Amino acid sequence: MQGKFKFLMASALSASCLMLGAANAADKPEVIPGWQVAVPDGKDTPLHDPMILYSSGGVDGKMAIIGIPSFKTYRHVDCGVDTHEISFGGSNKGNKNGTPDGKYVYLNDKGANTICEFDLQTGYLARIIALPFPFGVHHIAMSTDGKNIFATGEYSGKMAKVDIKSGKTEVIDWGPSPSAPDYIDATRNGKYVFAGNYYHSTVGVFSTSPFKLIKEIPVGKNPHGTDINPESTMVAVADKLSATMTIIDVDKLAVKKVIPTCAGPLHNVMDVYNKNGGSYRAGIDSPDGLTSKYIYESCFVADANVKVSYAKLEVVDEIPTHYRTGHISISPDNSYVMALNKFSTGLFSPTGIIFPVNFELWDAREKSPTYGKTLKIMPVDGEPHNAKGLMAYLIKDWTKGQAEQGGLLTGRTDLLDPPHRAYSKRYFIPKENTPPGVKLVDGVKEIHMKAFSYGYIPRQVRVNKGDKVRLFATNIDKASGITKNPDVTMGLTIYGPYGQRSNMDLPRGVTSVHEFTADIAGEYEIFCTHFCGPLHLEMRAAFFVDDPKKGPSNLAVGDYAEAQKLPGLLEEGQITIAERVKGL
Amino acid sequence: MKNAKLRIGLIAITSLGMMWGSVSAFAAEKRCTAGGQKVECPTVTEAEAKAAAAAFLKEGDDMEVGKGGSTYGIAPFDYLTGVGKRSNSDTKTYKTDSGYGEKTGAGLRTELWDRVKAPASDGVTDKSVYDQWTNNWSPKFGNTLVAGADPNQGKTYYYSYCIACHGWLMHGDGPNAAELNPRPRTLTRGEYMQKKTNLELFTVIKGGGEAVSLSSSMPNWGNVLQDQDIWNVIAFIRAMQDVKPPASVAEYLNPKSTFKPIKGDVDALNAASNKDFKEAQELVESDMSGRAPGSELAGGGYVKGGNRLDAADVKLRVK
Repeated sequence: MQGKFKFLMASALSASCLMLGAANAADKPEVIPGWQVAVPDGKDTPLHDPMILYSSGGVDGKMAIIGIPSFKTYRHVDCGVDTHEISFGGSNKGNKNGTPDGKYVYLNDKGANTICEFDLQTGYLARIIALPFPFGVHHIAMSTDGKNIFATGEYSGKMAKVDIKSGKTEVIDWGPSPSAPDYIDATRNGKYVFAGNYYHSTVGVFSTSPFKLIKEIPVGKNPHGTDINPESTMVAVADKLSATMTIIDVDKLAVKKVIPTCAGPLHNVMDVYNKNGGSYRAGIDSPDGLTSKYIYESCFVADANVKVSYAKLEVVDEIPTHYRTGHISISPDNSYVMALNKFSTGLFSPTGIIFPVNFELWDAREKSPTYGKTLKIMPVDGEPHNAKGLMAYLIKDWTKGQAEQGGLLTGRTDLLDPPHRAYSKRYFIPKENTPPGVKLVDGVKEIHMKAFSYGYIPRQVRVNKGDKVRLFATNIDKASGITKNPDVTMGLTIYGPYGQRSNMDLPRGVTSVHEFTADIAGEYEIFCTHFCGPLHLEMRAAFFVDDPKKGPSNLAVGDYAEAQKLPGLLEEGQITIAERVKGL
Repeated sequence: MKNAKLRIGLIAITSLGMMWGSVSAFAAEKRCTAGGQKVECPTVTEAEAKAAAAAFLKEGDDMEVGKGGSTYGIAPFDYLTGVGKRSNSDTKTYKTDSGYGEKTGAGLRTELWDRVKAPASDGVTDKSVYDQWTNNWSPKFGNTLVAGADPNQGKTYYYSYCIACHGWLMHGDGPNAAELNPRPRTLTRGEYMQKKTNLELFTVIKGGGEAVSLSSSMPNWGNVLQDQDIWNVIAFIRAMQDVKPPASVAEYLNPKSTFKPIKGDVDALNAASNKDFKEAQELVESDMSGRAPGSELAGGGYVKGGNRLDAADVKLRVK
């Protein structure tokens, strides 16, 4: 028994070494094996991925776990309604993949206004942090010490600092309205948080302690990705409607340069190197003194990723993608860039009236014979927002004896079911032509909404608390607005307590109907959950549930404490997850 | 076609012309008000709206099979090779690490390189025609018809937010027009628009149709755009009044508006001191989402950003 265990350990170790070897091969001018060869581990396993991609699945409410570079999906884990950013626990040092400690990964759920905590080692959802209302979380960023998560409140114009352990939040306003904080990143020295605001067309600079707005830096129109380099000297901002990248100097808190990049720039990732110039290996290399050479920016409208040199601060290459790249991810060893494409026009077999998006993996190794070429493209379920890569050796292999040795769990681990889509009756009917608006039919408030690129009509809907609601939503698009992709699907989700009850898919040609009771007062933003074009983010409306006793709802008037109790997750009368965690 | 740039330029002009030509007659709805009188609503007919929708649908279908001229001419089959988009027949070479921007046997250049290295203006391939989706969106205006507002800033938002219903040339024939009843207004029609005050336009854009007792098919944009953005959009609309179908790129780039500023009307410069304007906006704001009365999240403020200038800093002058 003991002998067998030693053998297993030895083979596991050698496999890890081989994987590390592959991970560090980025700089060698060698012939790169095809993805299907992958890395032999000395056993009969046909495939071991040296890296794992954790993908926030968007409208399917799940996290997908995908191998790099095999691009095969290992599994999906439930989280909630509409997940968005994903961030590893540990520290935010290095590039967007951070310097993970291999314990937890966090996803924020736009639909439910929560943050899901997954245990990387068990592969289970471990905890849900319920954010306060009104908020409308868009994006999160890990703090340098790994103790806090910073979050943007897109649907309220607010910003939050979340204490991960207790779930307690500190919320501040970022006015004036209209205000939509979207993408966020924190400097690696723990000093600042930078967040874009697409209605202000600025990047806000916040001090982390005390948590407050220091200044707003004007950038291009409707900024999207706001990403800081590992050295914490520069912030790259994707100016969505200005076709530029604004580089902000962190020391001066001022614009350093505006670089013309591409049509419809959305997000940035950068590579990361350790002190010796090799790729950064989590858990092995020091997380301090990491550097970066290139920024890779996704270009939604141009169907490309561009490569910007930090040394030159100009575009040095452009890689075509297929099609409409939204988020962009990089493998932890800098070998591959993964374009998270929002459209797959003409690429895959039809499987129904909802169309698959895709992930495209291209070779970023400059000395590789396949540099710049697409190596893999895979159809993807849901509508993934961001994805982050992790070195596979950080996840323990429980087949190799460790389970019997103990240590899988060090304490109680709550196994929570996600707040599943519930509390509504849902169906499709043939496309209806009722004019947009609200009318009372047999005691039911019928709301007729049209969705188009890029908005809803009516833009604001009011019902009374206790009303039975029958929500009809029809996608009237012919093809995605500006970009004309015919494979466009739209969505409609009312965030927060109505997230589970709405979360509508809006394919063309039919009308989606959901019936539910509006029992929690307040102002809850409606948003599109299927990426439908460059102005998808701005595709919003508002759902007001007025309590006659309190008067018309707004961001200051509503049953916001009640909303935080996550109906569907807990039985009536139970405390919120955040409070429950406090009591542990 | 010898020169692909010319081809793309002509496609742009042809499709503009086709859309323009379809707006020969206007529907005779009587529910509109202009200058205090009931007038026919300036909209396209149902047949015209349907034709516009069908044309847009076809563009989407063409794109799926990669037909030339449809959105940069992407072919869906090139993903295995990683070959870039063919945007023109190259005569110059732009060296890149991957070689995508370099001239090869087929003469490949990509969208970015064409844009960074602006094509020379030869009357047809002017950069501002070519770059339909950048901040350099054509045409460019050297002056304004609304004091304190910049049509060059407004057009970006018009093309982002308004075209789906009002159409690329403001004729009310966007791809969604056929789905809407009442149909979107033809914003170029001078005999109607000349009687619409800036106050009315501002209120209907900011507060939506419901703010002026019209259809909710016109959404409110006050929770998307700042006031100055709305003024800039109005300046763009004013700059396009009665603009005729472009017969050439030069005409397309230099629209000649017939709009004459209305006497005593409010504009971006004097709005803050105009009583009627303030009253109307207070009413609109009171029902607007994204507001928390008594807090920092009040509306209507100005934030510098996105090339947006404060009205007092807009350098363009009224002719």
